[in-house]
Order: sequence, then structure tokens, then C-alpha cells
Amino acid sequence: MNPRIPLFSLGLLLAVTGPCLTPTLEARTWTSNDGKPLQAIFLGIEGGNFKFRLQNGNQISVPKDRFIKADQEAAERLARIGDDSFTKASARQIDTALAVTLKKNGYNSFNEPLPDDLFVRRVYLDIIGRIPTREEFLAFAENARPDKREALIDELLLSPGFSSNLFNYFADMFRLHGSDFDNGIRMDPYVNWWREQLEANVPYHEIVSAMLTAKGNVGQNPASGFLLRDTGMEFDAFANFGQVMLGIDISCAQCHDHPFDEWTQGDFYEMAAFFGNTQRSLGYRPASGMMGGGKIEMPNAPAGWRDAFNSWAVSSKGIVLEGNQDNQFKFFVAALGWNITDNEALETVLPHDFIGQGGKPNEVAKPRTLIGEAAKLGGKTRREAISDWLKSPANPRFALVIANRMWGRAFGRAILEPVNDFSDDEIKRASQPEVLKYIESEMRRVNYDLREFMRILYNTRAYQSIASLEEPDLTKAYYFSGPVLRRMRAEQAWDSMMVLAHGADIDKKTGGDGSFYKKILDIDFNTASNDEVWRHYEMWQNLRGGQAAMAMVSESGDDYSPVIMNDTNLRASQLPQPAPAASMLDTFGQSDRRITDDHNYDGSVPQVLALMNGAVTQQLTGVSSKIVSDLDALDGPDDKVRGVFSTLLNRFPSKDELDLGIGMIEDFGEEGISDLAWALMNSPEFLFIQ
Amino acid sequence: MDHLAELAGKDALSRRYFMEMTAKLTLGLSVGVPFLPRTFQAQGGAKAKNLIYIYLAGGMTHLDTFDPKKNRSVMADTEMIDTNVDNMKFGMHLKELSKQADKLAVINSMMSTNGAHEQGEYIMRTGYEKRATIVHPTIGPWAQTLLGKRGDILPDSVLIGQSTSNAGFMDPSYSPLPIADPGGGVPNTSLIVEGERFERRMEMAQKLGQQFVDKFKYTGPKSYVEYYHQANRLLKSDALTAFDISGESNRAEYGENRLGQGCLLARKLVESGVRVVEVVSGGWDMHLDVSGGTASRIPELDVAVSTLLKDLESRGLLESTLVAIGTEFGRTPDININSGRDHYPAAYSCVLAGGGIKGGTVYGETDGAGKKVKANPVKPEDFLATIGYGLGLNLEETVYSPTQRPFTFADKGQPVTALFA
Repeated sequence: MNPRIPLFSLGLLLAVTGPCLTPTLEARTWTSNDGKPLQAIFLGIEGGNFKFRLQNGNQISVPKDRFIKADQEAAERLARIGDDSFTKASARQIDTALAVTLKKNGYNSFNEPLPDDLFVRRVYLDIIGRIPTREEFLAFAENARPDKREALIDELLLSPGFSSNLFNYFADMFRLHGSDFDNGIRMDPYVNWWREQLEANVPYHEIVSAMLTAKGNVGQNPASGFLLRDTGMEFDAFANFGQVMLGIDISCAQCHDHPFDEWTQGDFYEMAAFFGNTQRSLGYRPASGMMGGGKIEMPNAPAGWRDAFNSWAVSSKGIVLEGNQDNQFKFFVAALGWNITDNEALETVLPHDFIGQGGKPNEVAKPRTLIGEAAKLGGKTRREAISDWLKSPANPRFALVIANRMWGRAFGRAILEPVNDFSDDEIKRASQPEVLKYIESEMRRVNYDLREFMRILYNTRAYQSIASLEEPDLTKAYYFSGPVLRRMRAEQAWDSMMVLAHGADIDKKTGGDGSFYKKILDIDFNTASNDEVWRHYEMWQNLRGGQAAMAMVSESGDDYSPVIMNDTNLRASQLPQPAPAASMLDTFGQSDRRITDDHNYDGSVPQVLALMNGAVTQQLTGVSSKIVSDLDALDGPDDKVRGVFSTLLNRFPSKDELDLGIGMIEDFGEEGISDLAWALMNSPEFLFIQ
Repeated sequence: MDHLAELAGKDALSRRYFMEMTAKLTLGLSVGVPFLPRTFQAQGGAKAKNLIYIYLAGGMTHLDTFDPKKNRSVMADTEMIDTNVDNMKFGMHLKELSKQADKLAVINSMMSTNGAHEQGEYIMRTGYEKRATIVHPTIGPWAQTLLGKRGDILPDSVLIGQSTSNAGFMDPSYSPLPIADPGGGVPNTSLIVEGERFERRMEMAQKLGQQFVDKFKYTGPKSYVEYYHQANRLLKSDALTAFDISGESNRAEYGENRLGQGCLLARKLVESGVRVVEVVSGGWDMHLDVSGGTASRIPELDVAVSTLLKDLESRGLLESTLVAIGTEFGRTPDININSGRDHYPAAYSCVLAGGGIKGGTVYGETDGAGKKVKANPVKPEDFLATIGYGLGLNLEETVYSPTQRPFTFADKGQPVTALFA
């Protein structure tokens, strides 16, 4: 069932990993009811049978009730996420290589293994972006199965929280913004498209490819939002492309040759020329003064479509195009034309004040890739060519960049920092060149399946070590004796508060999806009648500006009034993007999505005040709050103190802490519990991931 | 240490490189420019006790504001207007400021080598090129380091319009206090529980957190201990009233928008004893429809700053308060296909007023199209050095980062002393 594992073969793994790292692949051992071991790769469940591939390549089918209960459960899990023999072999590979560099640099080994309580809190935060509930914490603490860690990692990777958490990362990296444009033009369908890609675990290179080659508006094709995001800032868009896809910040080469690296100003424009005939938007601007917009045809519509529709609306519906009277109508037509297309008449032209090497002012720049093998046009559009070039196994950067980024997510520090700007020389001088090469090849082996890639990292001994006790110096090499201590992202802090207030069901709750706005713009201009388009305009009028993110198509389908999602008790990924200024998420450093990777981890007085006195704290720590009332069933002050600790910090209290808590409850009763909950929320431990 | 030496080398290399680029841009020549020693003719200066730094994020169009041209082809819809100073002309949206041009020193020869927002804003707010290995402090933490902390309770510096801040490589307790929404003041200042019970909670939180804070030798957890400390002191003082503009009689005069209200809050904070206030205002990145953008943003700036200057003057604070307007770059003289203007670091404008500044001054000049700086180029670090000079900061004093790298305020920037009376 799992296409990622074509063969039970050492040779294959060897071929992709190269000679430096030699993996030992051991298939999982399955145990029958009568105690016999079976070593085999699990292929899936068919009817009442488990299917396996043996070491000799033969496939066998065994009735599932022949296996012990633990293995039957493991099979149910692996059927959903895939066999883990390769996963674990790969994790061991990484550990072996890390251990070598640790030794070489004077460290005995990894940090101490992570105890169960710190493990469970960390994997919940790292994988699904929130702390575990007390029930989830206790279930893990009381589980005696030897494979409970790998089982929990898999369960979390399969839960909706995984994509929610990953969404927050990509929302920052790709600057997802719901309302970036004037005149009611919105990006919510694109934002939601990202949610859907991650929920479906679409391979990363396919997500990228869909964005790079998209045509149309965000209603017709939501992936077009990636290129529409920077309309009017084509060169900034290209600089962003360099940072997120290639880990090269070439923005300075827009104005002059790159000071440190080998890029010239000419390189910049030649590579940017892959987007040189990408036409973003209609180019329609309201005619005003001497800046009146030129008339450009709407590329995804028959010639003259917009003029024809405008004059039909004037004559049949009494629309007035002059002045401000029917602005909403004009905004609607502008939004329809806010789209992406390839326009062969466009070219990238070097600026008139070009001063660098590799070109002359006002010359046309021909598309040329600046690293790796040349991208081939051969009948493809320029955007298809650059997309294929990125995905090609010969591309020296694309897989490396995303692998290094995902590594940074797991360990709190990437091998190459900053993740969006490192030189070839820095790759060569990396503190872990072998691991870097290996994770790059693993990213390709798993076919950019980020869930499987993260599964490898979370199963390493390196990851499952206590966090390094000293803050690593940014200017010095770090050898990954364990992850580094991290503050929660704003979204992790918010989502943890949401789960404290509403329980684990919060993971399944969805928010506004921009579907109504998507429906408005999704028109086939070649076939739609004027009346039909007009009905879309009537839908547009129901939107009332900023509600677009939360306006959803109603169940009945043909209803032209949106259902408005008003609930904001949602996980961060389900809220409009980004959260507004001065909101809790903003206060804790959520990126405003202007520039890439802009989440801020600094503390501040307003953050502390929000934790001390904010509405969420009031809701969470009051005497009638969920945290306190959930402890009603517990007898005795000591159990209640343990209950508060396991709810908020997901660990049991030390002897001193227990005594302190018991004292509080004995002296102040229910108020004492509420005070204890408040104190734990306001101790720095709450905000950090150990 | 090899690595550090190499980084230092990179710094020197890049500086020389950028200076060469500057020369190329300015003079159309490719010549090496010798390093300028950081010596300057002391003049005026050091009169300002406070700073209000209005930062226009996105890149303010210079042509439509402080550097308008007779050449209509680069001016789009903006008309040039007279001011109350003979040789100063503004764009038409700066109606109110044109009546107070005699208070302003306009620098029309700003030049940066950073055409991207992040890098451009970074150097305009820290005086240093952005680096991957260190975070440089903004002006507030620098002033606190070089001049000492001014008050007990109020922070030395406040950042209005952004939700997060930091002190770079300096101690986190030096971080400007961020106020995201000026109208909201410091949010969440009403205690959930009062009196003894509150004290009990704070004490318990401190006790329960101590072990964790001691266990990890990281700045993060320790900085939170400091912020709790600061927050607690703030809550118990009457200093919070300094952040509350709800009772100010001239709220409407400043303009009912974030920039206007931010300037009002800045005035109130300075009056209450805060030394450095930064007011960050977004929406200046006018790639699309620059006429629409200027018509909405510039009048807000005009009203906010002109009211601020009058307000400071009437309260006797203008001589002791330096008001600066900065931005990361200008915008292209050519109008693009979307009727907008793109990034233009080769020439732009910044403004200073109050705090010992000689009003009615125009410093530097661009050519007839606003494309090239013709005289007296001013780099971002020079602008910062000028602000530091006005505040009386010792520009020669070396401050070491925890990793023992030496830094001086505004890197090697040269203050423009000619702007001071």
C-alpha cells in the first residue's frame, strides 16, 4: 500500500545515501500468538489479513488474529502512515553520523535521554503545536508498551494538529496574508488552499510546483495566490523566491553585484527573467489624473470581455462607471481580473541604472538559472521550466533547503543558519556536512513527504535527548547533542491556551475558509452569461469588506448569502491570517507576513501582562474554569496539586513543589488551586519547550 | 576566533564595497573612497534630551513629499507647493508642514545600498548592516547604555506601532516597551486578583519558576523574569497614566489614525520622562497606484507631525526633543505599469526638527529627476550618527557584545553637524 517503499532492499538505500553512510536496515519484528517472530516489511491490511514483504522479496498474507494484540494495534497505525523500517534505519543513520562529529569535537555523546514527561510535552508541541491535555499526558505516562514513543509520534503525525502546526510554519515562510490588497481583493482562498495541501500531506515539491505554474485568479485556481501575493513587486517576489526555494538572499543583487557571493546584478535579472513574462493582474487601474491605467485585456477571458460586461451592466443594470457611485461594482470587476497568466509580449528588462556585471542598462534579460544545471525551456513555459528545474534531482539547493528547514523545526536550530540565506561555501564548511548531505538525499527518497521526513527526525536519539543546557553561540558550530531550548511560537502558546480552555476537540474545529469569496471569483469567462456574472456580483455585495475570510458557502449550495463564521475560539491556523495587531498572537510574535520567516521569539512586558491579567488567563484560572473544575473528581490536596501540574506543565511536581501546592490548598481551598494554576501559567517554564 | 576574524574581514570588505558603490551611484565613477576617520567639527548638538523617531516603513516617496521637482514627468499627480521658507518646496499633501518648514531640516541626499525592506529598515533603525550572527540594538537601548537609565519605573524607550522589540546584543531589560496600538496604551493592566492574593501569586510563580530559570543558561527564560519584574513595578506605580491618551484634549488634532495617535502618545511619554520613542507607521510601500497612496498616507503624516511640533513647542519641549522622520529608501522617479513607484535606495529624504536643529535647512540635493544625489550624500549610519550627536551620545565609545565584538553607536557614521544651530 505504501508507494514510498518499492523494495525491501539494502541496495536501494545505499544507492541514494552514497558511500559515506552505510545503513543497516532491519525490518520490524512481528510476534505471533504462539510467540514466533516474523521479520518483514509491513505492506498494509487487506480484508482480515496483514500483508508483508519478506527479506527474500516474497510477499505473504497472514490473518491478523494470528498476531499479538500490540502488533495488531501497530499494524492499524502503520497501515495509515506506512511501515517504519526505513524510517528507523534512517534515524539510526543520522544518529551514527552525529555521534561521530560529537566525539570528534570533544563531546562524549548525546545529552541525557529525554524522560517520558518531557518527551510527551515536547512531541505534542513540536508535532501538533499544543501541549497535551492531562488525559493525554496520563495516558502516555501509564502506557507500559515498549514502542509507546514511536506509536505516539505516529499518532500525532496522523492527527489534524500536525497540519495545523505545519501550516503556521509555512504561513510565516510564505507570508500568507488574507487581505493584502486594496479594493476588497483578498487571498483567503489561497490561504485555505495551503491548509488543504498540508491536511492532505501533499508532497512539498508538488505544492511548490502548483504555485509556480498556476494560472487564473484565486477563485479559479487558489494556488495563483503565491505569485499574486507580490503583484507590483516582481523583483521582491523574485528575491523571496530565492530565499524560500534556494536559501539565497539575492535581494541586494537587484541594485548591485552581491558583495560576498558570486552573484552579479546580471545573474539576478537573468534568473528573475523566468518570471519575466508572468503577467500578474489585469493591469487595470482606475483612470485618474495623468496616471490613468492603460487598457490591458483580461487574459483568461475572450477579447474585450471586460468592456462588454461593463457596458452591459451600464445599460441593463444602471451601473454608473464614472465617479464613485458604483465603486463596489468596479472593485468586483477588478477582482475578477486579478490573475496570473503568461504573456509572451512581456520581458524582464535590466534597469536603466544597471551598474553591475553581466549586462547593460535597458537590455532584455534572457532566462538563465544561476546555480546547478541549466533549466531547459524546450516547449515549456518559463514557469514550468523553473519549476521542473527546482524539482530535478540535479538541483543543488531545493531539497537541501527544505530538509535543513525541517531539521531546524525539530531541533530549534538548523544545520545551516539562517535558513533563508547561506552560501555554497557555508554548505561546504557546515559543521555536519555528512548529515546535511544525508537529509537532503532522504528528502528526495521520501519524495518530499514532510510527514515521513519529520517522522525520521523525531525518531532519532538526538531529538529524544534533553535540550542542551547552555545556549549555543550563533557564531559557533553546534553539534546537536540534543535540541536547543525554545520558546513556544506565538501559535503554540495560543493553541495551548485554546486546548486548556476547550479540550482536545479544538484540533478538529475549523474556521472560515474563504469559500464564499472563492465561489464569487470562480467564473468561466468563456461560457458564463452576463446574467450569471451579475449574480456573482450580487454575492460580492453580500461580502461587506473584511468578512471575506470568514464568509463560507452555505450547505445548500445555491444560496447566494454567505454563512459567516464568528467563533474565534479556534486554533491559530484556523483564524484569519495573520491575527490582527495587538491580539494575543501578535503580542507573542506572530509574523505580520510582510517578510519571510519573521516570527519573533523575544519576550516583552505586554506579553507578561497578557499572561498575568489577560482575558484568557482569567478564563483559564478562575475558580469555575475548566482547569479547576476538571480536578473536582480528584481527592485530596496532593492529587489536586499533581493535577494542576500535569494539566499546565505536563509533569508531576517535585517534593518541594508538591508541599508548596498542598500548603496553598490547605490555606485557601479552591482559591488556592486557582492561584496555583495562575502561578504555573506565569512561570517561564510554561512558555518554553525543553 | 578565526571565524570572528573572518567576519570582521567581511565587514571591512563590505564597507569598502558599499562605499565604492556609493561613489559609482553618485558620481558615475568607479573609484575607491578612502576610509573617513570619524572626526567631525563639533557644533551645536547635544541639546536634545529626548527623541521621537517617526519611522515610515515601506519606503516614503521622496518626490511626492520633501523633494518635489519641476519636471512634471517624474511628479505624476503631485504638485509642488511653497513653504514658509524661500528655498524649500514640498509636495502638495504636506500643506500643514509647509507652514512650519522653518522648524525643519530636510535631508534630500539620503543614499542607501539596501533595496529590500528588511535590510533597509534594519540599518535605518540600528545604524548597522543586518548580519546573520548578531542582532544590533536600536537607538533606545544604545542611549540607555551610553547615558544611563533615566527613571526608576518608566522604561527608557518605547516602541509604538509594533508588537515586539528587543535590545539586540544588549541586556533584555533595555528593550523598548512595545505598544502595538497607541489608543490602547499598555493593555492588560487591571489585575485579576488584588492585594495580598496577588502578591501570593507572584511569589509562588517566582518560586516555582526558579528551578527552570536556573537550569537553562539561556537569555530567553531570564528575560521573562526581568519582564515580570518590570511589569510588576509598572502596575504598582502611577506611571501607567503616561501611556493613556484617552483624556488628551487634542486627540482629534493629531488625526484619528495610528500614526497621529502614535505621535500624541509619543509626546505624552516624552513629557513623562521616557527618553526615546519610536513611532512606526506602515503603508508606505506604494508599488501600486502611488497617487492613491500618497493621497491617503501623506496627509496623515502632515497632520500628525505638524501637530506634534506645535504641541511640543507650546509645552516648551521642542528645544529638548529631537523629532526625526526616517524611512528605508525613496521611490522610483519612473512610474511603473501599475501606476506605482518601486524601491529606490539611490536617493531619498529624511527630516529632523527640534532638539537643537537649525530649522529651514535643506541639506544635500538630487538632480532634476530626483534620481541621483548631486551633493553631500548622507548614508543611513550618518543619519543615525546625526541623531546620536543631537542626543549627546558619545559616538566614540566602544560597547562590547557578550561575544566581545566591539561596537560604536551608528557604526562608523559621520554626523551631519551642519544641521545644528
